[in-house]
Amino acid sequence: MKILKDKVTKLSFVALLMAVTAAMVYTPTASAHGEKSQAAFMRMRTIHWFDLNWSKEVLAVNDTMTISGKFHVFAGWPETVDKPDISFLNIGIPGPVFIRAGSWIGGQLVPRSVSLELGETYEFKVLLKARRPGDWHVHTMMNVKGGGPIIGPGKWVTVTGSMSSFTNPITTLTGETIDLETYNLSNVYFWHAFWYALGLAWLAYWARKPMFIPRLIAVESGKADSLITPTDKKVALAFGVGAIAIVAMSMSTTNQRYPVTTPLQAGLLRGMKPIEMPATTIAVKVDDATYRVPGRAMQMTLTVTNNGDSAVRLGEFNTAGVRFLDSKVAEDTTGYPDDLLAEEGLTVSDNSPLAPGQTRTIQVTASDAAWEVYRLADLIYDPDSRFAGLLFFYDEAGNRQMVMVDSSLIPTFT
Amino acid sequence: MSASQSAVRSRAEAVKVSRTFDWMITFTLFFVILGGYHVHFMLTGGDWDFWTDWKDRRLWVTVLPIVGITFPAAVQSILWYRYRLPFGAILAVLGLLFGEWVNRYLNFWGWTYFPVNFVFPSNFMPGAIVLDVILMLSNSMVLTAVLGGLAYGLLFYPGNWPIIAPLHVPVEYNGMMMTLADLQGYHYVRTGTPEYIRMVEKGTLRTFGKDVAPVSAFFSGFVSIIIYFLWHFFGRWFGSTAFVKAA
Ligand SMILES: [Cu+2]
Repeated sequence: MKILKDKVTKLSFVALLMAVTAAMVYTPTASAHGEKSQAAFMRMRTIHWFDLNWSKEVLAVNDTMTISGKFHVFAGWPETVDKPDISFLNIGIPGPVFIRAGSWIGGQLVPRSVSLELGETYEFKVLLKARRPGDWHVHTMMNVKGGGPIIGPGKWVTVTGSMSSFTNPITTLTGETIDLETYNLSNVYFWHAFWYALGLAWLAYWARKPMFIPRLIAVESGKADSLITPTDKKVALAFGVGAIAIVAMSMSTTNQRYPVTTPLQAGLLRGMKPIEMPATTIAVKVDDATYRVPGRAMQMTLTVTNNGDSAVRLGEFNTAGVRFLDSKVAEDTTGYPDDLLAEEGLTVSDNSPLAPGQTRTIQVTASDAAWEVYRLADLIYDPDSRFAGLLFFYDEAGNRQMVMVDSSLIPTFT
Repeated sequence: MSASQSAVRSRAEAVKVSRTFDWMITFTLFFVILGGYHVHFMLTGGDWDFWTDWKDRRLWVTVLPIVGITFPAAVQSILWYRYRLPFGAILAVLGLLFGEWVNRYLNFWGWTYFPVNFVFPSNFMPGAIVLDVILMLSNSMVLTAVLGGLAYGLLFYPGNWPIIAPLHVPVEYNGMMMTLADLQGYHYVRTGTPEYIRMVEKGTLRTFGKDVAPVSAFFSGFVSIIIYFLWHFFGRWFGSTAFVKAA
C-alpha cells in the first residue's frame, strides 16, 4: 500500500512539474537585442535607416518622445529575403516598456501593415509614450513578411518614475473616455471567475461521493447504470439548461450595454508616399572593395564624377546604421548613438572639393571597431557577400546628396 | 508485502484508502491534463488565444473550438466509460484555464508587462458543461459527438462575447477608425508579432454579409463533431490498460 501511495505521490509531483513547465515556457519575445546576431547582409542590403533622431534620452512615465528619420528601401534587395510588399513599421523594445502612441510613414498613420517600393526613400516617425521605468535600448525596426524583423540602430533611453502611475486615456466613438491600461479588466475577471466557479461546483458535486475505485468496480461488474441516480439527472439537466440560459442572457445584456461594436480592423495599407528625392548629380562607380580583417577596415576604390554645378566633398559612409564620418566635412549634431558613430572613421585619399565636371578616383577607408562589435565583418561569411551603403556628399553651402553604392566585397586576411 | 495479501484490513480502512486515492488521482489527473492540453492548445490555438486583437468573428471562432474540443473528448472517453464520471470535459477545461491564467498572469503580465485586459484567455466553460451534461444524460458517444460537438462550436462565441464586447467599441485614432482591441495591439508593442501575421477577418465567408460569427460558429461546430470522434478514440487508446504479470 505504502509503495503504491509513494508512487502516486511521486507521479503527482512529476505531473505538477510538467504542468508548471508547460505553463512557464511561453513568454512573448521581450528581447530587442537581435541586432548583432542578424545576418550582416540583411542589415546592409535591405532597409537603410538614416537621419535618425531620438527626441529624448531621459523621460518620465507618461511622457512622450519621438523617433524620426528616413529609410531607404534598397533597390538591390537580396533574393534570399522576401520583398517588402507586406511590411510593418515596428519598434525594437523589450516588450511594452513604451506604448506606441502613433507611427507614420510619409505622414500616413500606419497601425497596420504597408506595402513598400524598392528603391524609394520614406520619411517615418514613431511616437512613444513611456510606460515602464528602466534603461531601454530603443531600436527602429521594420518587419517584412517572409523576411523577418529588420532591426535598425538603437539608442539607450532612460525612463524614470513608476509604472503604477501610467495611464492610457482613450475616448471612444461613443463618447466615453476610458483608461485602456485597465479597461474591461474587472469584467474579464468576473466572467472567468464565474464560469470557473460553475465548473468547480460540478466537480464538487461528483466528488462528494466516492469516485474512482468503487465506480470502476461497479462499471466492471455491469452495474454502471446504478451509478447515476435520478437526482443526478435532474441536477445535470438544470446545470446544462442553466449554462445555456446564462450564455443567452449575458449575451443579450451585453448587446444592450454595448450597442455599438465593430469588427476588428485589418488589411494592407498601400500607396505609402515616398520622399521626392532630388535627382543625383554625382555618379559613383565602385572599382573594387576589400575588407581587411586584421585592421577592421573596409577600403573602396571609387570613381566619382560631379555632374552638378557646385563642388562637392564626401562626408559620410553609412551602412547598417553605422556612420563613418570625415570630421573635416561632416559632423553629427543629433546625439547619434556612440557605438554606431565613427566620427573620424572615414579617410579619403583626396577629399579636396571635386569641381563640377570633374572626375576623380579616390581611396576611401571606413574603419572602426563597429565592424567587429556589430559583426558587420561577418558579411564575408554570408551567402550573399556583397555590401551596400549610402554615401553622403556635401557642397560648400552644406547641401547634401545621397548616393547608393552596391558592390561585392573581397576579404583580405593579412 | 506480497501481492497476494490484501493491503487493507477492514472495510472502513478500504473506504478511507479509496477516498485518499480519489483525491490523489483527481489532483494528478488535473495537472497531467493541464500539461498536455495546455501545450497542445498553445501550439494549435496560439496567438488566437493570446491577444484580443486576434479574437475576430471568423478564424478565432472557427479555430478555437476545433482545437479546443480535443482533450475534453479524450478525457470524457476515459472518465465516463470507465468510471461513469460525467466531468471529463469540465475537468479538462478547468485544467486548461488554470494553466493559461498562470501563464498569462505570470509571464505575459508579470514578466513582459502586457496588460491582462489584452492577453486574457478564451472561455471554454459553457461548451464543456453542455458536453458533459449531454454525455451523462444520453450515455451515447455518437449523440455527444454530434449534439455536443455542435454545441461546443456554437456556444463559443456567445460564451466569450460578454468578455470581449467592450473591446469592440470603435475609436477614432489619428484619423482612422479601429476597435479598442486593435488599439491594444497597436499600443502594446510586440516585436515578435508584427501586424501582418494577425489572421483576422480573413476567409471566404464574405457572402453572408454581417452575420459572419454565426456562420463561422456553425462551421466550427461541424468540424468539432469530427474532431470529437477522433479524440474520443485517442482517449480510449491512451486510457487502455495492459496488465503485466507480477514477477
Ligand atoms: Cu539593442
